[in-house]
Amino acid sequence: MKNPYEVLGVAQTASAAEIQSAYRKLAKKLHPDLNPGDKAAEEKFKEVAGAYDLLSDADKRKRFDAGEIDASGAERPQHHYYRDFASSDQGNPYADASGFADFMDEDDALAEFLRRSQRTRANRRGQDLHYHLAVDFVDSITGATQRLNLPDGSTIDVKIPPGLVDGQTLRLKGKGAPGTGKGGPGDALIEIEVRPDRRFTREGDDITLELPISLTEAVLGGPVRVPTPTGDVTMSVPKGSNTGTKLRLRGKGAPRRGGGQGDQFVRLKVVLPKTPDPELEAFVSTWKGKDYNPREGAAS
Amino acid sequence: MRMTKQEFLTSSGLQVQVLEFWLEQHWLIPEESAGELHFQDIDIARAHLIRGLKDDLGANDEGIDVILHLMDQVHGLRRALVELRQQIGGGRG
Repeated sequence: MKNPYEVLGVAQTASAAEIQSAYRKLAKKLHPDLNPGDKAAEEKFKEVAGAYDLLSDADKRKRFDAGEIDASGAERPQHHYYRDFASSDQGNPYADASGFADFMDEDDALAEFLRRSQRTRANRRGQDLHYHLAVDFVDSITGATQRLNLPDGSTIDVKIPPGLVDGQTLRLKGKGAPGTGKGGPGDALIEIEVRPDRRFTREGDDITLELPISLTEAVLGGPVRVPTPTGDVTMSVPKGSNTGTKLRLRGKGAPRRGGGQGDQFVRLKVVLPKTPDPELEAFVSTWKGKDYNPREGAAS
Repeated sequence: MRMTKQEFLTSSGLQVQVLEFWLEQHWLIPEESAGELHFQDIDIARAHLIRGLKDDLGANDEGIDVILHLMDQVHGLRRALVELRQQIGGGRG
């Protein structure tokens, strides 16, 4: 980097006031926002601003003069100027057409073009954009944040509120197409698809889960681990439970609109060991209750 | 990014009285809906610009008025030129 005194064009003996005045003079010419179309202005301004940052700080200036530090690293870091936003495609609500309003009054092709472009630009709200987002069942119950990739390569982080249902549409204000003038952007409308879950099904605010239990657990009862959307809980299976027995976990369902939670129902399913067990066979054949017929009395 | 007034104050580092004055002068024109102000990234950049003009370049309030008015016209002209270039097929999209 160049000598900061040379960059600002001041003598090494210059006073703080002289340094400020020299900087201002240069900055008025070189400030990128005062040169919206001049790409080189930014580089030059960075140099000038870096030199001023160094010399306007009495301590840094003293150390530089003493040779303790050099001018490298004095450049200002990458900076976004107003012009970067003012000329973006997002539309600049401050941009003013009065600088060429007289051209529009003429009767020629340019005037016609300008009039048309003003009409379409004048403060129109951007379009609403429609998207589709698939959400895991568990996330639809507990809520989550999910990233949505847009066709233009950008992303939106979509906040999934707890208790969302399949087919519901979320509206993200201002995430649609950009508007024109002061019209503001449209909204993003995101239709949510809740992916089915292997374990859970939902009916209203209640969730049902089918839970396999062993013969031992069915006959003798006991504690079992049960998955819920918010994590596993322990539930006690009562003695003598059967396939189809429904147990309720209060408040473990989906959030209710207006407060509270639905319930989770656990439907038990008694499952015998996968491979026939000779010991079990021997026991059942000597079991006193083996002649119990659950079909007795049922309509044929 | 859309910001509330409070978020804008935090992000820009402006004092609330200063912001009120700038709003009064129409140096900043945030969107307004349901009585709430909503600021965008361009408003932050514009606030930094105004601060730079005052603190670094020594412009006074009268000067800011003039500079912003001319600057907004330059950007309006640049926009019109971009659209014209697109219209005559010389633009990049």
